[in-house]
Amino acid sequence: MTAPKTAQRTVHLSEAENTLISQLLGAGARQAADEMTSVGLPTRRVEAYHYTDLKALLRDVPAIAQESEQVGVPQFRVPGAYRILVANGRIQQSTTPPNGIVVSEVAGSPLNERDDVLVRLNQALTGSSLVIGLQSSVDPVVHIDHRITGPASHAVSSVKIEVAPGATATVLETFSGSDSAHMGTHGTRVELAEGARLTHIIVDLSSAQSRHFHTIEYAIGANVQLRNLLVNSGSALSRTQMFGVFAGEGAHGDFTGLNLVDDGQHNDITLDMNHAVPNTTSQELFKSVVRNSAKAVFQGRIVVSPKAQKTDAKMMMQGLMLSEGAQILSKPELEIFADDVQCGHGSTCGELDAQSLFYLMSRGIARDDAKAMLIRAFVQELLDPIEDEELNEALSGIVEEWLVRPQAGT
Amino acid sequence: MSTPMLEIRNLHVRVEDKAILKGVDLTVPKGEVHAIMGRNGSGKSTLSYAIAGHDGYEITDGDILLDGQSIIEMEADERATSGLFLAFQYPIEIPGVATMTFLKAAMNAQRKNRGEEEMKTPEFMKAVRAAASDLSIDTAMLKRALNVGFSGGEKKRAEVLQMALLAPKMCILDETDSGLDIDALKVVSEGVNHLRSPERSMLVITHYQRLLNHIVPDRVHVFSDGRIVKSGGKELALELEAEGYSAFDEAAA
Repeated sequence: MTAPKTAQRTVHLSEAENTLISQLLGAGARQAADEMTSVGLPTRRVEAYHYTDLKALLRDVPAIAQESEQVGVPQFRVPGAYRILVANGRIQQSTTPPNGIVVSEVAGSPLNERDDVLVRLNQALTGSSLVIGLQSSVDPVVHIDHRITGPASHAVSSVKIEVAPGATATVLETFSGSDSAHMGTHGTRVELAEGARLTHIIVDLSSAQSRHFHTIEYAIGANVQLRNLLVNSGSALSRTQMFGVFAGEGAHGDFTGLNLVDDGQHNDITLDMNHAVPNTTSQELFKSVVRNSAKAVFQGRIVVSPKAQKTDAKMMMQGLMLSEGAQILSKPELEIFADDVQCGHGSTCGELDAQSLFYLMSRGIARDDAKAMLIRAFVQELLDPIEDEELNEALSGIVEEWLVRPQAGT
Repeated sequence: MSTPMLEIRNLHVRVEDKAILKGVDLTVPKGEVHAIMGRNGSGKSTLSYAIAGHDGYEITDGDILLDGQSIIEMEADERATSGLFLAFQYPIEIPGVATMTFLKAAMNAQRKNRGEEEMKTPEFMKAVRAAASDLSIDTAMLKRALNVGFSGGEKKRAEVLQMALLAPKMCILDETDSGLDIDALKVVSEGVNHLRSPERSMLVITHYQRLLNHIVPDRVHVFSDGRIVKSGGKELALELEAEGYSAFDEAAA
């Protein structure tokens, strides 16, 4: 009998990896710590992280967030919304929820096991999760205000959203905070019972130095109508990954997103949709607008299981590059194992149309105003389906703020 | 003699290293309507784009004066707020930009340049409705995205509508008759004629004499190989129609 072979360490651990290992050990997550010790953060050699090499991009990890005292006013507010604050990973509910909403707290992360470093980190570091039960149709927008405050901190916010059969609701999650180099390793799981109708909006407005990671899972029941919209305009480095499973027939999902990316930013949207049962439909539309030297990544995969006949899934990615140094990396994929389906994907990338710009200017509209009109026109199609007027206006405000944001180096 | 509205002096223009305009001289006095006729490819549209200030048209020599002021160093938007208007041969469709939003932005740009306050919405709506009615434009059309889904005739009428609302002092109409049936041609021409005034000049670019039956010019210039080869009164258009452009090619040689 030979002695068990000692695991050969081939990974040179970075400062960020070492900090994460000690944070995992501090949370009692030995297995996750061992995994990080042996394989480290994913590099470009890991296919799912090919365009977002975390080992190279995540230089340091700030200390685990402490309870915060000074939270401040919300950066993004929707008039009339029911707002729940999660500050530095701690739930701070202050007002009684409106009828139909049950708010509670449960130990641990709501995310399922998955071979993914961001999921492992969220599972290991989540103390408790916010649970939002939407038991009947809810009128006001439910706003989960995730905040990281104070000095640079690593915060973990986790949420489970449960929508009861036949209930209709709009849930908004925003991520923002103080102007430090934070890191967030967040998780959201959305469970949609039969006939539920949900609009789920996720907005990242984290500080310009922040590193923002968010994993979202959708469990989609029969006859569900789901619309999601992701809007990114914050963070130096971000990755939002969405995993959806259509588990009941007759459901439809619209998955949409807008990446507004500016100098020095690297924002990644990764989508994985699994049509696991027959007769479900989805439409994916993601747009990136990239200015100065910055990078937008979109990876989208639609999987159609062997028995998922009559699936109709269409995925489109459109990129708009406003400067020479702008980069858009797009990887749409279809994996189809059923034979009676309609699926398609497309990806386009370009600059502002010179003829359109000339036409607007020839009517007296100044160059910058004309450009802004064309950028608005490009993104409008994503905001149009958001029917709540206050919410729609607040989201348009993010685009407007981005359009007038002072430019480095110009 | 008063300052001409438009004066083009020895204009040379290049597009991607190809010389297109080779010394255009043209003077349009205030209140006059001049026509430029020429066959396809003679450089007529290049002249209109160069006057309007398109980036892709490089002026290598000469000058363009609007009401006595050189405009060749100006961007397209400044030329427009200085009183220049180009009605496009092929108006651009811009999905996502509402026609009304665009009209308001364009009108307010003019007002801003004159140091006036932005238009109030009721005042703006009233102006648009009145101008649209003059041109038999259904206001439902204006609720659509800019030029999107407009027929050829609707696009041309929308151009004249913009011209009416922006009240320029120098209008350039580039092949405004192309794509129009007889009825639409009549409506558009009437719209243009309605805008004729002693303070406003027009340059009508066409290759058919037909339009000039409706918009009767004070002068006609024949364009060939990047320059004006002959000028005359309105009867020159009829002469061209009868003899064809080839009769004038020698003059250019």
